[in-house]
Amino acid sequence: MRQSTGQISRLGTLKSLLQRFAFLSLIGITFGLILIGKADTVLVERARVAVTDAVTPILGVMSEPAAMIANFVNNIRELAAIREENAQLREENARLLQWQSVAQRLETENRSMRGLLAAVPEPASHFVTARVVADMGGAFAQSIIITAGSEAGVKKGQVVMTGDGVIGRVTQAGLYSSRVLLITDINSRIPVLVGEAGNRAILVGDNGLRLRLLYLGSKTAAVQGDKVVTSGDGKAFPPGLPIGQVTRVEDGVFEVEPYVVRDKVQYVRVVDFGLTGLLAEQAVKK
Amino acid sequence: MQQTFLQRLDGNARRVVPFGLTLILMLFAMTPTYIPGLSHVTPMYALIAVYFWSVYRPDLLGYGAVFGIGLLEDLLAGTALGSGALILLLCQKIVLHQRKFFNAKPFGITWLAFVLVAFGASLLRWVCVGVAGASGFMPFGEMITSFAMTAALFPVIAWLLAKAQMKLLAQP
Repeated sequence: MRQSTGQISRLGTLKSLLQRFAFLSLIGITFGLILIGKADTVLVERARVAVTDAVTPILGVMSEPAAMIANFVNNIRELAAIREENAQLREENARLLQWQSVAQRLETENRSMRGLLAAVPEPASHFVTARVVADMGGAFAQSIIITAGSEAGVKKGQVVMTGDGVIGRVTQAGLYSSRVLLITDINSRIPVLVGEAGNRAILVGDNGLRLRLLYLGSKTAAVQGDKVVTSGDGKAFPPGLPIGQVTRVEDGVFEVEPYVVRDKVQYVRVVDFGLTGLLAEQAVKK
Repeated sequence: MQQTFLQRLDGNARRVVPFGLTLILMLFAMTPTYIPGLSHVTPMYALIAVYFWSVYRPDLLGYGAVFGIGLLEDLLAGTALGSGALILLLCQKIVLHQRKFFNAKPFGITWLAFVLVAFGASLLRWVCVGVAGASGFMPFGEMITSFAMTAALFPVIAWLLAKAQMKLLAQP
C-alpha cells in the first residue's frame, strides 16, 4: 500500500515537472517566434498566407449571421427614410444630368487634345469584388481579410476601394483570400495631395479611427474641410483617388476623417491599376 | 466497468469543449460586427476564455492548446508573431500559480482579478507589438479602449462559458 502511494506521489512530481518544462519551453518558443518574425519575414508571410487561406471559409460562415442582421437593420432604416431619400435622389439626378453633359463635352475635348499631343493613354484598370470575412479591429493591427486571392487575380500591392474611397492596400495575397492593410493601420503611409492647392503630405494611421497628415510644410497648408486625395508619388497608388477630408487642425496637427465608414463595409473592390509600386518586382523578390 | 466506444467518444468530445469554445471565441473576435463606432477596437475574447477555463476547469486546457490558439491568432490577425501566444500563456500560468486564491471566490473577486490580468496582458502586448513592429509604439489610448472593453465584457462571456460548462461538462 505504502509502495503504491509512493509511486503515485512520484508520478505526480514527474507530471508537474513535465508541465513546468512544457510551459518554459513554450515561452521560449514564443520569444523565438518574435525574433523570427522580425528576421525572416518571407517565411512568416508564407505561414500567414497558408493559415489565412485555410481559415477563411470558416470565417466566411461565421461572418454570415452578423452580415444578415446588419442588412436587416439597414433595410428597416432605409424603409423609414424612403420618401425623403427619393426626393433627395430626384434633386441629385437633375444635378448629375447637367454634369453628364459637361463630362461628355469635356471627354470629346480631351480626346481631341490627346490626339493633338499624341499622349500615351493611361493603362486600363481591372477590378475584382470580394466579401469582407474578417475585420482585425484589434488595437494592435488594423487589417481585413477578403475572399479573393491570386486565383481571382489579386496581387500584393493592389489598391482596395469601396464606393466612397480608398480603404487600404493588399499586403498578403493567398490563393483564395487576401489581407488588406487598412489606411488606419499604424504601418500605413500614403503620399497625398491636400486641398485645392494640392499641397503634398504623407497620410499616416495610428490604429484609431482618424488619420494624420505628416510633412505638410507649413501650419497653414491645410484647413478644415480640405479634401485629401492620393498623389501618385512612389507609384503605389494612382493619383486622384479620394481618401478623406481634413476635420481638425490644431497646433500643426492635421486630422483626416476617411470617407469610408468602416462599420458598413461588407464588400470591397480590389483594383489593378497596373502599378509596380515603390520597388521593382525583382528587388522585392530578392 | 468497460466503457463502450460511444461513451469514450462522448467523453473525449466533452474534454475538448474548453479548447473548442476558446478557439471559436478567438475567431468570433475577428468577424465583422457592423456596430457603428466599434469596428476599430475588438475585445480580447480569447483572453477571457483562457482565464475562465484556467480558473474553473484547469484540467481541460493545457499549455499546448493555449499556445496553439495564441499562435493562430497572431498568424490570422497579422500581429507580431508570438505576442498573442505569450500573453495567453502568461495569463494561464498566473491563474494556475494562484490556484489557492481563486478557489471558491465570489464572482466579483474573480472579475476584479481578471481586470488586473487583462491590464497586464494589454500592456505586455502593447510593448511586444511596439518592439517587434516596424512603426514603433502605437498610441496608448487605443490599447486602453481595448482593455476597457475586454474588462467590461468579461461577465457576459463568463456567463455564456459557465452555461456551456454546466450543460456539457457537468459531472455525471
